[in-house]
Amino acid sequence: MTIAVLSLLGLFVALYLTLYKVGVIGELTCSIGSCEKVQTSKWAMFSGVPVAAWGVAAYAAMLTLSIAGLRERWEGSRALSYALLALAAASLLFSAWLTYLELFVIDAICMWCVISALLIACIFVAGVVDVSVVRRQTSEV
Amino acid sequence: MVKARRKADRRPFFMALGALALAGVAALAYQASKKSDAPKPSIVQQRGTPANAKPYVLGKPDAPVQIMEFADFECPGCAQFATITEPDVRQRLVDAGKARYSYYDFPLSEIHRNTISASNAAACADEQGRFWEMHDKLFNGQPNWNGAATDNPKRVFRTYASELGIKVDQWEQCYDAQKYLARIMGNKARGDSLGVGGTPTFVIGKRVFKNGLTFDQMAAWVDSAAVDARAAAAPARPPAKTDSAPKRKPGGA
Repeated sequence: MTIAVLSLLGLFVALYLTLYKVGVIGELTCSIGSCEKVQTSKWAMFSGVPVAAWGVAAYAAMLTLSIAGLRERWEGSRALSYALLALAAASLLFSAWLTYLELFVIDAICMWCVISALLIACIFVAGVVDVSVVRRQTSEV
Repeated sequence: MVKARRKADRRPFFMALGALALAGVAALAYQASKKSDAPKPSIVQQRGTPANAKPYVLGKPDAPVQIMEFADFECPGCAQFATITEPDVRQRLVDAGKARYSYYDFPLSEIHRNTISASNAAACADEQGRFWEMHDKLFNGQPNWNGAATDNPKRVFRTYASELGIKVDQWEQCYDAQKYLARIMGNKARGDSLGVGGTPTFVIGKRVFKNGLTFDQMAAWVDSAAVDARAAAAPARPPAKTDSAPKRKPGGA
């Protein structure tokens, strides 16, 4: 449940930045940091796709997996928990790299990127807890 | 029985998740609708005076021929000229010392909503001596910032400024203040005074070309204007010992 809520929040953050990047949203609300400097840097694109759009895909996948895990059919599924943790770990690494770029290369911090990084860190921790709970439950059985 | 209870237990959670999703969609829709409130340049109605005109110039001051270009950064024909023909013009006419090239803004803001912003971006790059680099980036990247692509071209322009290595903060202050608006509109007024109606329009010597030019055409007209300029600069000949009036060169550009 925790992961589903965090993923949904992350999805909207990533969607907000993506809509800005493609021009649907004109100005970013950014009370802390220099969001536009980060979002208009060359690092805001990855493999020809806005970084935020990768975030949308990752959060959507994690939201889907976490909701699936709440269904009876997959409740307690080890495979699902591992998949979620793997996705969260990959996203966390990607997010850490982006934070490094912000701090040491672009020299500007984007408030929304920091929020996203915190969300993904929380999702990763929740994923670790979920895996340990599922392992314990299945080993008890 | 247990499954049914568990299912019922999760119903409030899914309802809360759904409510959160709706709130998120509403917030994004609100943000997207705010874009039309973004400040728009208030310059469209302003008129310049030719006295404020100050073109961006390439080439030697004593070059025999002057080429003036009146262009709109958002005009596709101007972009085509800038990307295909102009590199040759710079290399083979300007760098070769045959001509001096002056760029005048001629923003057609009635049909191109981001054009004045682009002129503004270029003028602010000129403040740091990087007009021509910004000029090239604007024309090369025109589909990324034109009125069809975005309501907020500034973020693209700022990326260009950053890539050019100019002081982005200074550039941004200049851009936001529309510091060189009088110059931009003055350049347009200069074009108006010459009868420019569309873009790109070129003036080579004293001839006006309203329909664009290929490199070969431009080079030929530069040569022609150079001949005219030499003739005009040549010392007056002694009166001809004939009864007929001296023949004068037609047109003289």
